[in-house]
Amino acid sequence: MNKKFDKNYKIISNVKVHGNYFELKIKAPITVKHCHPGQFFMLSIPNVFLRRPISIHNIKKNTIIFLYKVIGDGTRNLSKIKSGKIQLLGPLGNSYYDLNFVPSSQKINNKSCNFSPIIIAGGTGIVSLYFLAINLNTRGTIYYGVYSEKDLLCLEKFKKIGWKIIISTEDGSQGYKGYITDILHKDLRNDNTLFVCGPASMLKKVSQIAKEKNINGFASLEEKMACGIGNCQGCVVKVKGQNKRVCRDGTIFRIEDIDL
Amino acid sequence: MNMIPNLGINFLGIELKNPVLTASGTFGYGYEAEDLIPLKKLGGIITKTITLHPRFGNPQPRIVEVESGLLNTIGLQNIGVMSFIDEPLDRLSKIGVPIIVSIAGNTEKEYREIAKILNMQNNSIISAVELNLSCPNLRKKPICHNLSLMQNIIKGVKKILKIPIIAKLSPLVADIPRLALAAQNVGANAVTLTNTYPAVAINVKNFTPKLSTINGGMSGSCIKPMSIYHVYNAYQRIKIPIVGCGGIMTGEDAIEFMLAGASVVSVGSASLVSPKNLIKIINEIEFILKCKSIKSIKEVIGIVNSKILK
Repeated sequence: MNKKFDKNYKIISNVKVHGNYFELKIKAPITVKHCHPGQFFMLSIPNVFLRRPISIHNIKKNTIIFLYKVIGDGTRNLSKIKSGKIQLLGPLGNSYYDLNFVPSSQKINNKSCNFSPIIIAGGTGIVSLYFLAINLNTRGTIYYGVYSEKDLLCLEKFKKIGWKIIISTEDGSQGYKGYITDILHKDLRNDNTLFVCGPASMLKKVSQIAKEKNINGFASLEEKMACGIGNCQGCVVKVKGQNKRVCRDGTIFRIEDIDL
Repeated sequence: MNMIPNLGINFLGIELKNPVLTASGTFGYGYEAEDLIPLKKLGGIITKTITLHPRFGNPQPRIVEVESGLLNTIGLQNIGVMSFIDEPLDRLSKIGVPIIVSIAGNTEKEYREIAKILNMQNNSIISAVELNLSCPNLRKKPICHNLSLMQNIIKGVKKILKIPIIAKLSPLVADIPRLALAAQNVGANAVTLTNTYPAVAINVKNFTPKLSTINGGMSGSCIKPMSIYHVYNAYQRIKIPIVGCGGIMTGEDAIEFMLAGASVVSVGSASLVSPKNLIKIINEIEFILKCKSIKSIKEVIGIVNSKILK
């Protein structure tokens, strides 16, 4: 089992990126060594009862970076903390590596395998997938759907690591007007590997496409959770007909296994 | 101030290191937090509720936060008693603290069936059984709303098990002391007061209930004074010990329950927030006793209640 910590960390910064989006940086010299793509932390936030699950956006040296959207009381209160300490529980959940489907970096560098990653992100789903992308050591394509262009995140970061970006907005303010799953279908090949994070409706559609085209795929799921460690069974989803806890058995599952 | 108070307590013949137990349904099968806190420091572990057959539980959403607490509708998801004795019970036996198994059934017969299966286990592993008579998710009404059914279940299980049994009651009754007395009269060795409070939360953004089953159970610090009310009033009427439960977040909260009459406490939502809170509560109890120069935790049980009765 991955090592996890429940302790206070120093806040380096917590600043607005744009609109309702904030970036929180935490100094965590030992903990960073145990953080892997796909994992999350439970963050203690003032004036709300439960901790809030937020996925890792990036690790830089001794710093954990979270990128989050202010949605409710928890994230609103979190955005108001500017300095001091914050209690974090984690890293939690499995990582993409645990599912043994990301070829090791050596293999990719030696070009001994045909690994062609496609990221499909809906809204803030892009946040954790960026941490995956920078760890893949290979370029791919990202299909990124948001409501409006003001919700677009991380575009420069993905460009910098050489990823091709295809955008859709529901209001048509940038890219294709509609859902990203509308334009996904024709481009996918069965040697692609899909990495998906976003709303349930998007996951469902991607799962259908993956099954039709027989494409390997992995999805990171989100559910409301109370404890983050598997005690409360609050975040359970159906995977291959079995109850699985998003916080402990996931958050990442094989896309064909998820019963949506 | 140099005195180290004795937190140990004999509860139903079980020697507990301290009065802090985990509340059923909030601590998994009992060992999931083993890499976060030293489980052997706990007074005891009450497992999640085990049923005769495995249960998938309720659909999503199962959890919603409210002011100072949360509502849940997990629906008693569990692997069933046969799988429970296979793996979790074995792991629990290695922790080194008393294990109390929570059980529930749809019928009196189901409770007895589970008791029979547990009875076949090595007796030293399970210290007591808590009868969940108050889950709103199994039946339309909690079992303890039907007095004769509740009494028959207690009597039936009592005949099978040699270990103590604890009746966990719902706060949603007209007269908790009367219900606790009814449990005592048919042989319950203790009562847990109380389970979660029935509650509803509605999303005003989209005019829909926040939980899949609409009704859920409320827990967290918001329910504490109401649960202490039940403990306080039941203590005056019954002779068997009370497990105080409901919104305990700190050592001070735990002592408050004990002053009202609880012999031990079970902590739920606080451990969902952080399992470390269980250890913090134990340490805070010790600190409070030290500050008050009280030698033993036993001294505080019901003293507010007794003072007023005099």
